[in-house]
Amino acid sequence: MMPDLTQSVGVSRLAAIEHPFGLTLGLPGDAAGQLAVLRATLRALEEISQPGTAVHLPFEWETREKLNVYPPEAPPIARFLRRHPWYLPKFLNRTPPEISEPAAS
Amino acid sequence: MTKTVDSYRFLDGITSRMMKHWATLGSPQQIPWSPLAKPISQCTVSMVSSAGIALKSDQPFDEEIERRDPWSSDPSYRVLPRTTATGDVRVYHLHINTSFAQQDLNCVMPLERLCQLEALGEIARSAPSHYSYMGYTVRPDVLLRQTVPAIIGRLRQEQVDAVVLVPV
Repeated sequence: MMPDLTQSVGVSRLAAIEHPFGLTLGLPGDAAGQLAVLRATLRALEEISQPGTAVHLPFEWETREKLNVYPPEAPPIARFLRRHPWYLPKFLNRTPPEISEPAAS
Repeated sequence: MTKTVDSYRFLDGITSRMMKHWATLGSPQQIPWSPLAKPISQCTVSMVSSAGIALKSDQPFDEEIERRDPWSSDPSYRVLPRTTATGDVRVYHLHINTSFAQQDLNCVMPLERLCQLEALGEIARSAPSHYSYMGYTVRPDVLLRQTVPAIIGRLRQEQVDAVVLVPV
């Protein structure tokens, strides 16, 4: 789903798909579509012969349905960073504060 | 025509920039590699999902850990038997719309689809056990030291040949 980020951490093999978050294999009820994605992923597993290779799966995300892929409320970290923007560098650099530092509210 | 997946298509501008920055932070290291020892049609396959899926009969993932401290999350894992159906589980994830997975678990954890591939002979079998954990993990220490080794131990016990990690 985010092959740039996934490859950057050095995964063995990667099958990349351009689907929204929460819909990795496809829409609810689309059994044929889900099966096709899973089948293509396993085919990539079998065909990849070099460590770190990414196969970009050919599936196009096209739906006329307007989907809300966001959670019902903003994630806690998003709300926290809005209230404490000075912590943004720590989040951007993936260096969370020490456990003893106050982080709540 | 060859497709190149756009990693940022479904992100807003700010989050895109953040993720692009994160992609530059990956530390160069040796990529782990085990060759596939046999054709996939002869493999036992298991799946690991970062969607925070737990059986309704199991202990829920603790979302309050993250609500109390937004830099933390529940580092544990849950086991999902191969026959787990949508109605058997709840999905615990504060960064996605979980309603799709609650309607059809196969959107994020295609257990039924894997069993279909088994029935078609395209894999040897779907492993007895599959796994899920909460994907938002800024402090990965416990996940790496406890959760991951525990999952690996169970995978070895069940003689799993290949594992598919399914993100959300």
